[in-house]
Amino acid sequence: MRIAAFLPELLRHLFKKPATVDYPFKKMDVPKDFRGTPYLRPELCIVCKACERDCPAEAIEIAAVGDPAEKRFRMVIHNDRCIHCAQCVDVCPTTPKAMQIDSLFELATDDRHKLKRDWVYVRAVVKPKPAAPAAPATPAAEPKA
Amino acid sequence: MSFQIPIGPQHPALKEPISLRMTVEGEVITDADIRLGYNHRGIEKLAEERNWIQNIYLMERICGICSHSHATCYVQAVERLMELVPPKRGLYIRYLVSELERVHSHLLWLGVAGHEAGFDSFFMYTWRDREIVMDLLEMVSGNRVHYAINTVGGVRRDLDEGQKAKILEGVAMLRKRSVYYFKIGASEPSFVARIAGVGLLTKEQAVALCAVGPTARASGWDRDVRKEDPYAVYDELEWEVATADTCDVLGRVVVRVKELLQSYNMIEQMVQGLPAGDITVKAPRKAKPGETVSRYEAPRGENIHYIKSNGTEKPERLKVRAPTLANYAATVVMLKNGFIADIPLIFAAIDPCICCAERSVTLVDGRSGEESIVRTSDLRRRALARPANALVKGKAVWPF
Amino acid sequence: MALLRTLLYLLVYPGLIFLFVYGTFSEWFDRKVYARLQNRMGPTHTGRFGLLQPVADFFKLMAKEDVVPEAADKGFFNALPAFGLAVVSTAALLLPVWNFNLANPGWTSFSGDIIVILYLLSLPTLILFLAAWSSTNLFSTIGGARVLTMLFGYEVPLFLAVLSPAILAGSWRLAEIAAFYQARPVLLLVNVLGFVVAVIAVQAKLERTPFDIPDAETEIVGGTFTEYSGKKLALFRLTFDVELVVASGLLAAVFLGGFPGGALLGFVFFVIKTLFIIFLLSLIRALTSRIRIDQVVSFSWKILAPLAVLQLLITILVKGFLS
Repeated sequence: MRIAAFLPELLRHLFKKPATVDYPFKKMDVPKDFRGTPYLRPELCIVCKACERDCPAEAIEIAAVGDPAEKRFRMVIHNDRCIHCAQCVDVCPTTPKAMQIDSLFELATDDRHKLKRDWVYVRAVVKPKPAAPAAPATPAAEPKA
Repeated sequence: MSFQIPIGPQHPALKEPISLRMTVEGEVITDADIRLGYNHRGIEKLAEERNWIQNIYLMERICGICSHSHATCYVQAVERLMELVPPKRGLYIRYLVSELERVHSHLLWLGVAGHEAGFDSFFMYTWRDREIVMDLLEMVSGNRVHYAINTVGGVRRDLDEGQKAKILEGVAMLRKRSVYYFKIGASEPSFVARIAGVGLLTKEQAVALCAVGPTARASGWDRDVRKEDPYAVYDELEWEVATADTCDVLGRVVVRVKELLQSYNMIEQMVQGLPAGDITVKAPRKAKPGETVSRYEAPRGENIHYIKSNGTEKPERLKVRAPTLANYAATVVMLKNGFIADIPLIFAAIDPCICCAERSVTLVDGRSGEESIVRTSDLRRRALARPANALVKGKAVWPF
Repeated sequence: MALLRTLLYLLVYPGLIFLFVYGTFSEWFDRKVYARLQNRMGPTHTGRFGLLQPVADFFKLMAKEDVVPEAADKGFFNALPAFGLAVVSTAALLLPVWNFNLANPGWTSFSGDIIVILYLLSLPTLILFLAAWSSTNLFSTIGGARVLTMLFGYEVPLFLAVLSPAILAGSWRLAEIAAFYQARPVLLLVNVLGFVVAVIAVQAKLERTPFDIPDAETEIVGGTFTEYSGKKLALFRLTFDVELVVASGLLAAVFLGGFPGGALLGFVFFVIKTLFIIFLLSLIRALTSRIRIDQVVSFSWKILAPLAVLQLLITILVKGFLS
C-alpha cells in the first residue's frame, strides 16, 4: 500500500501532449474497409433484389418505373434507416459489385428526409463469359427479376 | 428512521434505466428490490419476423458492449441447426474478435469502477488505452462498435499480414498498461479502502443464486463456459480460468484484470497460429426444423440462446438469457447490509448490462403486492383505455 | 468622497468584480491542471485557452429556468445562495493583500482577524446544510447530513494547523504573521507538517475529491444541490470558486510568508502563491478516489488531528527555544 502511488504517472502527464484529438478542427483518418454509407453503381445492377431482401433495416427499396418493356427501375437507399452493416454489399452477386460502401460517416443533418438517395436506371444485362476456344459458348445467365 | 431511497430509473450512477428501491436506516441498507422492464424493446418478437441473416444484426444490437457475444452465440446456434461446420480460419478470426471484445469490455469496466468510486484519473487512463483496442477492432471489422464480422457459416472479412502485425503491436502495449493498472488498483490506498470488503458474496451463496461470470469467479468458483464446454478453438489454446477468493469487489477487479492478461495471451496465440484456408462456407437460406441451445462466455458471464426452427427462413422462437439477468439475485443479497455509499460500486461490480437483461415484463401491483404476467393484448387494451379514463390535468393518478 | 471610495472597494477591487474575475480564473486553472494531469485538454475553445469557460458556465446558469420545489422552505431556499456569496466575499476582504500598510491598515486588518476568517469560512458548510434541509428532497437530506458529519471531521485539524504559525509569530493578526515570516523565512520550515495537514483539511472544506462525499454525483445525484437550478445554482458555484480563492489565500498568507512588497508586487505574489496552492489541491483531486463518510471521520481523527497536535507541540517547543 503506497501513499500517492499514482503521483509519478500523473506528473509525467503534465508534460505530455493531450490524448484528445481536437475534433472537428482536426480529424482522424478512418481505416481501409471502414463501413460508411452504401451507394449504388447503377450500370452494374441486375435487379436481383437480394440487397432489399437481406437488409436488416429495410433501408433499400427497388421498384419498377414507367413502361415495363423498358426495364427501368428506381432504387431508393434510406440512409436514415441504414445501420451500416454492409450486408447489401456482401450479398450482391455481380462482379464487380453494384452495391458499394464508402467511408463517409459525417452524415448528420437536420431533416432525415434529406438523407435518402435514389437512382433511376435501366437493368444491366450480364454478358456471356468468353469460353475456351474448343468448348461451345455458355448461355448468358438470365437473372430472376 | 427507515425510509426508501429509489435509485433509478434515472440516476447518474446508472448507464441504463433500472429501478433499485433500497430501504435504508441511516446509511445502512436493510432491503433491496430490483425492478426491471424499462428497457424492454421486444427483440424476441422482432426476431421472429426476420430471416436468419437479418437476425445477426438484430442480435448484435441487444447490447453495445457485448454485441459480438450475442451475435456469435446466435450464429453458433444457427450453424448447429443447419449442420454447418465453418472452416478453421473463419473460427479463429471469429474468436479473435471475441477476445478483443473481452479486452475492450474489461477496460471499459475498470474505468467505470474507477468513476463510481470517484477515481476519475484512473477512469481517464483506462479509457484512453481502450482506444487502442477500438482502433484494432475498427481495422479488423470496419466499425468500432457492432463489429458485424459474423455471418452464418463463418466470418465476412479476412485478416492480412499488416493487420496481424498491428494487432500484436497493440496487444504488447496494452499488456504493459494492464500490468501497471493491476499494481495501481492494488496499492492506491483510497481506492482499495473503497472496494475491499464491499459486496460480499460467499461461494455457497454464489452457487445457490446461480451467479455467473467474474461475479462468481471472484468468490472462488471456477466456472467458465470456455473450459466446461469448449466451443471451436478454445481447447486448442493454452489459457487458465481466472479466479480470486476474496469474494468482494476487489476480487472482481482482480479477476477481470487477470482475464485481461489471459486474453492477451490468447490473442497472440490466435494471431500467430492463424491457419490458412477459407473464411466461410455457403449457408442455406432455410434451416432444418429443430431446436437448439447455445452457450457462450460473454465478458459478463454465461450467455444462452435458444432457437426453435420450423424449416422456414425465419426462426419460430428465439430466447435470450443474458448473463446480467442471472446476477440480479446475487446483487440483492450483496446489497443488503451494505452502505448507501457502496451501492454504485456493488451494482457496477457485476458489470450490469441492463439492456441485455430485459426480456419479459411482470406487473406488480404497488398497493397489494400481487404479481401477474400480462399478455400483450391486455396491455394494449389498457393503453387504449388510459386516455379515456385520465382525469383532467393537475391531478394525474398513477397506477403504481 | 470616502463613501465613494468604500463603494469602489466593495464592488470593484477587492470586492465583488475582482472576486468574480479571480474566482473564475482559479476555477479555469484548476480545471486545466486537472485535465492535463489526466492527459486531456481541458477548456480550450471558449476565449483564448478556454479562459472564459467558467464565465460562460456562470452566465449559462443565470439564463436558465429557476425551479423551486413546492415542498421547499421558500425563505431559506431563495436566500441562502446570496447569503453564502456574501459570507465568502466578506472573508476575502480580510486577506492581507490589500491592507499591506501595517501602520494604516484600514477596517480590514485587526487583531484577531485570523479567527474571523476561519469562522467565516466555516459558515458556508452550515449554509450548505440549511440549503439541503430546506430542499426537502431525499437526496439533499442525505447530502446535508453528510456535510455536517464531515464538519466534525476536518474542522479541528484545520483550526489547529492554521493557528500553529500564528502562535509562533505571536500575533492573531494576519498582516503581522505575514510580516513575521517575511523577516525570518527559515522559520517557515517549522510549519511544514501543519502545511500538509492544512492542505488536506482545506480540500475537505471545499468538498473536492477525496472528500466530495456530499456532492457525490454517482451516489446521491446532486447531494445538497439536487434541487437548485438557474440563478441560485450559479451563485452557489460562484461561492465555491471564491471560497477556493479565500482558502488558498489564507494558506498562502500563513504558511508561505504572505505577500510582501506593497500594492503591485504584493498582488503579483498573491497570484503566484495562490495558484501554487490551487495546483496542490488539483493534484490531490486527481490523485485519489472518493472515500466513504465513515472513513473520512476516522481518517480525520486518527491521522489528521494527531498530526495537527504534533505540529502544535513542535511550534511551542521552537517558540520556547527561540525566546
